[in-house]
Amino acid sequence: MGAITAEHEHDAHSHDSHEPPWEVQLRSNRLGLWLFCFSEVFLFAALLVARFVLWGNTRPELSQELGLAATVVLLVSSFFINRGETAMEHGDRKAFLNNFMITAVLGTLFFIGVVFMEWNIFGLKGELFGIDLFGHLKPSDGVIAGIFFAMTGMHALHVLSGIVFILVVWNNGRKGHYSPERHWGVEACAIYWHYVDVVWVFYYPALYLMGTAV
Amino acid sequence: MNEKKAAAYRLGVITFVVLMVLTIVEYVIGIRPSASIVLLFIVALVKAALIVQNFMHISRLWREESH
Repeated sequence: MGAITAEHEHDAHSHDSHEPPWEVQLRSNRLGLWLFCFSEVFLFAALLVARFVLWGNTRPELSQELGLAATVVLLVSSFFINRGETAMEHGDRKAFLNNFMITAVLGTLFFIGVVFMEWNIFGLKGELFGIDLFGHLKPSDGVIAGIFFAMTGMHALHVLSGIVFILVVWNNGRKGHYSPERHWGVEACAIYWHYVDVVWVFYYPALYLMGTAV
Repeated sequence: MNEKKAAAYRLGVITFVVLMVLTIVEYVIGIRPSASIVLLFIVALVKAALIVQNFMHISRLWREESH
């Protein structure tokens, strides 16, 4: 017993001498994540600039309804992850778990909308109330399609990694790894997901709304 | 504590509603043949600023943690 106590005291001492306080770690973590987000701005901005250089004041004929629906789904997912983060901040673990799971489902819905409907990887055809449910662009359709697939593909990759991130955090939360005082994983996941949303805020008008449809 | 929680939820709802309204405005502008790229870009900037401020809490970068 005495040995254990001594070991704990030693641990506590080594923590005091080697690890910075939690507040300092949290600030460093936040700064690190924001710097990561900032570094990714260059990647997404480069693709956005390429769109304006190569497409000019034109855009491909895309389903406006599908683009709007995908945007709404992503915005709703941002709303729910914000609720989940707020719930964890105030100690409501059940609401946190529910909201994070809803976000993961909505993220998956967005991913399916882009890959299976807009990209139409299975070459499906169908419409609902006169609205085309599946896209018609192919990667071999020249520079128009090249930019479209590069932009939506890079974004979809981030959506997919965001969904994995959410599920990992959800599982950790289920095991009780977070508390209202210490939940950096939850905060980081929410920031990353909102970042993916911010990218789409610029990509949606650039792909679907700006310029004349050709 | 409950007041703080309610205020945080309220801010989330207000931000979401404004984002939805701006998205509809953006859509209405965009489907017109003479859609202004500048106007669409300004709407996107406002939406991004709302998300960065109210959802991503950028101001926490400068905040001193007390717990």
